Order: sequence, then C-alpha cells, then structure tokens
Amino acid sequence: MKELLQKHKQYLLTGVSYVIPFIACGGILIALSLAYAFQFHHVDAHGAPDISQCPTFVQNVFTIGVKAFELFPAVLAGFISYGMAGKPGLVPGFVGGFIAALPQTVDGKSASAGFLGALIIGLIAGHVVNLLKKLPMPKIFKPVMPIIIIPILSALAAGLLMLALNVPIATIMVDMGHVLENLQSGSQVFLAMVLGAMIAFDMGGPVNKAAFFFGAAMIQQSNYTIMGACAAAICTPPLGLGLATLLSRKRWTEEQRESGLAALGMGLIGITEGAIPFAAGDPFRVIPSIMLGSMVASTIAMLGGVGDHAPHGGPIVLPVVDHRIMFVVAIIAGALTTAAAINTVKKFTEKSTPVEGAKS
Amino acid sequence: MKIVAVTACPTGIAHTYMAAEQLEKTARKLGHSIKVETQGAMGIENKLTESEINGAAVAIMAVDIAIEEPERFDRIRKIKVPVQAAMKNPEAIFAQI
Repeated sequence: MKELLQKHKQYLLTGVSYVIPFIACGGILIALSLAYAFQFHHVDAHGAPDISQCPTFVQNVFTIGVKAFELFPAVLAGFISYGMAGKPGLVPGFVGGFIAALPQTVDGKSASAGFLGALIIGLIAGHVVNLLKKLPMPKIFKPVMPIIIIPILSALAAGLLMLALNVPIATIMVDMGHVLENLQSGSQVFLAMVLGAMIAFDMGGPVNKAAFFFGAAMIQQSNYTIMGACAAAICTPPLGLGLATLLSRKRWTEEQRESGLAALGMGLIGITEGAIPFAAGDPFRVIPSIMLGSMVASTIAMLGGVGDHAPHGGPIVLPVVDHRIMFVVAIIAGALTTAAAINTVKKFTEKSTPVEGAKS
Repeated sequence: MKIVAVTACPTGIAHTYMAAEQLEKTARKLGHSIKVETQGAMGIENKLTESEINGAAVAIMAVDIAIEEPERFDRIRKIKVPVQAAMKNPEAIFAQI
C-alpha cells in the first residue's frame, strides 16, 4: 500500500515537473501585460485592467501568457499519464486534461475542472493505458497497438470520463468559492494561514501548487483575495532567506551567501523554488522558518484586503494588486519574520560553524 | 567499480544537481568511477551512452519522478532511491552495491 502511494506520488510529481515552466511563463506574461494596463489606466468601469484598450503588442503578450497558462491542465495530465505508462500514456492524458480545461457554466458562473480534474484524469489515463497494454493480442495486431488501438481506446475512455466529471468537479470549485466568499474574518485568517503554510512547505512542489492553483482558480470566480494572500506568501521564503544571509553574514557559508543573492532575485519575480538550496541542506530549521514567514505574509495580505489579478506572486505582480501598500507590508513583514526566525534558530542550535552541504 | 547514475527531482533546478554532486564526490572518495546523468529542467545533461551503461556494474537511480528514456537501463542492476537520500546519506547507497 505504501509503495503504491509512493508510486502515485512519483507520477504526480512527473506531471508537475513538466508543467512548472508553463505556469511560470504564463503567469509572468499575464502579470506583465495586466501591469501595463493598470499603469497606463486602461481600466474598465469597475477598475479592473482592460487589456482590449492596450496597444496590440501588449494584447499579444497577454494572449501568449493566457495560452501558455491554459495549456497547463493538458500538459499536467499528459505527463502524469506519461510518467505512469510511458509514450502511449500521452494521448489520453493530454486529451483528458484538455477537456478538463473546457469552460463550464455552474450556477450561471464560468468555471472549469482545471487542476483538480487534470490530476484525476492523468492518473486514470495512465491506469487505462497500462491495462490496455496487457490485453492479449494476436500477433498481427501488435504493430498497430501503440499507434492506433491504445490511443483511440484510451482517449475515448479518458475523454468520456472527463466529460462526465467536468461539471461535478467544476461545481466543487464553485462551491469552494462560495464558502470562501462567506467566510467571516476569523476563518479568513485561518484560511490565509493554511495557504501560507502550504505555499512555503515544499517550495514549489505539489503542496505549494495546490494552494497556488486554488488561488488561480478563485481569480476566475472574481475572488482576488485568495490569490493576493498566496502572492504575498509565494515570495517570502526566498526573500526571507536571502535577507537572513545579509543580516547575519557570519552564520552562513560563502556559498550560502551567494545563493542568498540568487534567492533574493528569485523572490522578487515570485519563484518560491529559490529557497530550495537552503532547505535541502537544513530542512528542519529552514522549512518551519519559511512557513512562519509565509503565514505572516498571507495573513497580513488577507486582512489588508490585498487582491491579485494575475496567477503569479511576488513583488513583480505589484502593479496588478489591489491595496498595494498592504501587499508590500505583508511581504516585508513575512520576509523579516523568516529571516529573524532562521537566524535565531541558528544562533541557538549551533556554536559558530555554519552547516555544510547547502549550495545550489 | 564502474557505476552509472541518474538524478532527477520534480523542479529540476537545485536538488537534481546537488544529488549528482554528492554521488560524484562519494564515489571518488570510495575509489569508484562514476558518471552521473542529470535530468533537470534543462532535460537530459551529461547523457549516458549505451556502452557506458552496458560497461557499468550497477546503476544508481536517485529519482523522484519518471525519467526520460528509461528503457536504456532495462538490462542493468538498479538501485532506486529518493533524491533526498543521495544528498543526505550517499554512503548508505554505495553500501548497497
């Protein structure tokens, strides 16, 4: 049983590893073009950025970003299935994931099965292909198995299933949105803390992405504060650790100080992965410190009503954020918390020699 | 002893390369010759050739994800470990050889 879970985790991570560049590319291009719209006052009656008023080039950048981002359910499901069943897994995974991205109407709102649907259908597609591979086949059919029979049968199976699951899964997403909108401030703080902890916990891994996709999905529901809380939490782990190396240089090795600068750069553009080199060598001290900082950042952002209109985080999205000052305050407070936490823990748990083995 | 290895982590920008470095360092210390292929965000780097794999006694797979071109390793004995294990305690992996 444990081994089975391990294997499925490996399949999911395979999908995530292929989808990360799509998300970063799409997220940053969307953020940049929305930022332009905000900056030059191309906004609609509600104050939201209006891309259609922007110059053609900016519109094109926005379109490219949106398309890169829209590919993610297909790529995610495709490579989860690939991780499981190899090349024959690609067709049903991509088709199923693409169907999961189809817009649905639930309660008069537009929604899609998106990330959650892609995870589920990717795993199912892989299993279906592995079953089909085992079918007893007369020898003359062997050559047509991988290019005709398996793709058609598995795509039909995954596609039909996903078409049936689309509305139920999209409904779950919409319901989550409703629950969030009706949260009282006490539970809002709790939600922000959970999201912050998740964002920092594995620095860009599946837990982080689950929180991120949740925030991104809520943007589609016109609820920008969830992503706002995530956006503040996303950048504080690398920013906080980078800051820690600057504040207390003697506690860090030469190499760590170098990674610290790289981490600051990654933090500014909202790449949580910048914290990995530190956490890898010293997880038990680093991960709690960055979780604490991200929780502080997301909570302040949530209470300050920070909303993020782009599916990306970090100071780079500042132009597309509502309540910018609180956003900046949240990031600074979070980064300082992380830096103080890690330097204090280091002070009390080691004499003077920095820990070896943490470098990029 | 001749050893080949593959490292691959989900993000492919930090752990993959740190694990590769640890494996190389430890192999050198223990007097083995090793070549480590990394499958990070840049794709396959330092790719192992067919003859290098066939000439090796064992393949260490320090991977958290499904790797590219796994069929190359069908005929060689494999030791499969998480990437973390290669970074934290590479000696324990070599003890299994």
